[in-house]
Amino acid sequence: MKDQGVADVLSMAFMFILLVFAAVLINAYSMRPLRAATDRQLELKCEYAYQALETSWVEPYTISILRAAAENVVLEQPTVPGQYLRSAMENALDYLSPPGYEISLAFTRDGKTLTFNENKAPPSKQFVRSGSVSIMGAGGENVVVQVVVRLFSVS
Amino acid sequence: MTLTQIMKMLVACILVITFILVSASAYRQHRTISSLAELTDATSSIVNQLAVDQLAHVDETGNKYSYAIDMDRMENLTFNSEIGGENFEFQISINYQGSENRRFGPEPPENSTNCSMIVACSLWSNNRFQLAKLGVIAWRV
Repeated sequence: MKDQGVADVLSMAFMFILLVFAAVLINAYSMRPLRAATDRQLELKCEYAYQALETSWVEPYTISILRAAAENVVLEQPTVPGQYLRSAMENALDYLSPPGYEISLAFTRDGKTLTFNENKAPPSKQFVRSGSVSIMGAGGENVVVQVVVRLFSVS
Repeated sequence: MTLTQIMKMLVACILVITFILVSASAYRQHRTISSLAELTDATSSIVNQLAVDQLAHVDETGNKYSYAIDMDRMENLTFNSEIGGENFEFQISINYQGSENRRFGPEPPENSTNCSMIVACSLWSNNRFQLAKLGVIAWRV
């Protein structure tokens, strides 16, 4: 009779623990669809940052920002001078970065790399969009420069 | 029935009721979260429609420049969209470096949940492509 009583109390305690565990689990997982949707938006923002930099021109030139930077990697006398480009790029990246995030750019060609707003600390979250820019080299040949745009959290 | 048995029965009943309440609350929360996630995705979809097609700049030769916004195309734009069988209304804002935000479309209602998204884009203005931001606030109708 006494054993029966202990078994009842134990089963109730077990049910209580199960209930608490289930409630915590439900709460932890219920936010997942919203977090995933927010991440999809950030992924899209990274894509749009790439496309905007690929389309927009460096003031007052008539060359796109990505192409101007790619020229700086390949050509000795690019359309947009390096110092001017760096200043324009910093303004552009600062303007385009969403709150709590920053954008960095890396251009690579034959081991030569040009970076803007390089991220030094490991970010808790980052989205990457890779692409390439094709420009005419000094000898008239087509040169492909690899571009990587990173959108990373700074919090 | 002894007092111990009554207490056990009472605790069991409380556990069952709590379980039902937690389940109901979780279901309601799940529906709210799913609805918010759908609204977020719908906003992304509206932004895509606008940037890639409806507001994309088209030059004299008919070439379409996706991700380059042409504000002249705003005149023929309707500020509602049907996505996944649901109707959404939206307001657009365009901002470019050194300018104020320009808003187009209806104001979002105060008593309805809305979702906003701002993306980088290019703006075709004064025969130049310049950096800009396209913002969309969307809500269910």
